[in-house]
Amino acid sequence: MTDITLSSVKKIYKPGLFKKNVQAVNDLSFAIRKGEVFGLIGPNGAGKSTTIRMILGLIRPDSGRILFRGKPFRESPILQEIGYLPENPYLYDHLTLLELLNFCGQSSSLDSKRIKMRGQELMLKLNLLEAQKRPLRTFSKGMLQRAGICFALLHDPSVVILDEPMSGLDPIGRKMVFDLVMELKDQGKTIFFCSHILNDVERLCDRIGLMHKGRLIKEFAREDFLPNTVNSVFLHTAKISQSQLDKVQVLGGTARNEGEGHLLAIPDEKYFQVNRYLEESGVDILGCRSEWLSLEDLFMQAVKEQNQ
Amino acid sequence: MKSVLALATITFKEGIRNRSLFGIALLSLFLFGLNISVAGFFMRDIGKVTVDMNLSALTLAGLLLVFFVGINLIAKDIDRKTIHLVLSKPISRAQYICGKYLGIQFFVTISLLLLLLLSCLTVGLLFKLYPAYFIGFSWLIFFEACLFVLIKFWVLTAVVVFFSSVTTSSLITLIFSLGSYIAGVTIEEVVFYLKTELAAQEKIISESLRTFIDVVSYVLPNFSVFDFTLEAAHGLVVTSDRLLLSLGYAIVYIVIMLSAAAYIFSRREFH
Repeated sequence: MTDITLSSVKKIYKPGLFKKNVQAVNDLSFAIRKGEVFGLIGPNGAGKSTTIRMILGLIRPDSGRILFRGKPFRESPILQEIGYLPENPYLYDHLTLLELLNFCGQSSSLDSKRIKMRGQELMLKLNLLEAQKRPLRTFSKGMLQRAGICFALLHDPSVVILDEPMSGLDPIGRKMVFDLVMELKDQGKTIFFCSHILNDVERLCDRIGLMHKGRLIKEFAREDFLPNTVNSVFLHTAKISQSQLDKVQVLGGTARNEGEGHLLAIPDEKYFQVNRYLEESGVDILGCRSEWLSLEDLFMQAVKEQNQ
Repeated sequence: MKSVLALATITFKEGIRNRSLFGIALLSLFLFGLNISVAGFFMRDIGKVTVDMNLSALTLAGLLLVFFVGINLIAKDIDRKTIHLVLSKPISRAQYICGKYLGIQFFVTISLLLLLLLSCLTVGLLFKLYPAYFIGFSWLIFFEACLFVLIKFWVLTAVVVFFSSVTTSSLITLIFSLGSYIAGVTIEEVVFYLKTELAAQEKIISESLRTFIDVVSYVLPNFSVFDFTLEAAHGLVVTSDRLLLSLGYAIVYIVIMLSAAAYIFSRREFH
């Protein structure tokens, strides 16, 4: 079952007279399944935030359809199910976090007992309990980001949309948010998020969509960049012949092209065998790698292909 | 309704904690103090000048409250994209407009009521010091005049909310609202002038200009219908018909402005 479906969505921004129209989103189609973590990545100006705003109804698509659980988006009943964190949230300067969360709960029709309980729970998780009665204008950037996350999650939404959730956070804050997203994932929530921090996307997402110039140019499953190479050693070698590659495969290794040479993934238990064979064949080992294929590699490769 | 009240509450709190409020309160205190210190210079007109100065001080404070704090309470939401967060909750655009309007209205009302308290102290003090020069003064008419100063700002707040729903920046909202206020205060006199024989003799006033001003006078808020300063200063009784007519005009104008704002806002996109 899909929670959010976009089919052939287009959006053109008209900046005004004598200015060129900007195609923000072009023929965008994807679906986010219930309970999955879907990440949308792409360079600046790719159309990620526009996509999120269209999903939330802040912007209307020029054409195409956006469905929530098979039904067209309308305002109130669906927004009850969605929690949204914008990029760099601007909150009310003179309110305290407690007042902000009260507003959030009341607008989502929660009773005061539930608002208090959920508020305390989230503030505890995001280390904001001590700051709950301070005006939001005294918060640091990271604290505002975490306050925004509390605001997004207070009404316990089943779908969470996060636009750059790690932006402005220190390593401790990032860890907190990471753990929280993992917890939401374990609770079976559907999570849709945009981020520039590919490492976070890689670790959190079940599926990743790559946007470029308003289009979804590629979709990766987690397995695409995390194959069965968990207990493997990665060796970067000079170019080796096809017969040598076949032999490496017979011995249990996997190979792929990497620059001028090859990258070999060798299971731990086969390492000495493969290494001995490479030495005997006179293959130069250029170095070691920590991963098989990073999302960054896939990202750069896809963008390069698209630009060509 | 719960969402509207929740939004009105945070808007009110955001406004009442704004530091500009101290400046506005100080300015009003200065004007009230000035009234006490210079009252003795006006001989027989002390009562009239006192009422006039107090109502003017309340009007000035109200204008500053609406233009410097009230506008920011709605336009800043759009400027700083806080509205993205608010509209991601189950709040419709019309509810947002109503919530913001009620919040600003509540903020302006509470602030002006506090200033009215100080104003009453000033008037009361001068009344006690110079009772002979307050002949005809009536607290009831004074309070009626103050109430309509407040109602005038409710209408002005609706105008501000309307322009915030149309424009993309708080500065443009300020310019349009200020323009509407100035035109709204003077339009009645212009219309009356155009009906005089003197105006009929003026060749420069063409028929098309007359029609234009006539149309504009219906579109712009006529703020002079809320001005009872003259009656309060001279202790002239205001008929209930006039009060009801002014109140009805305010309600109709507010409803039209908010409905138009809600309609425009519901069609607007937030990039």
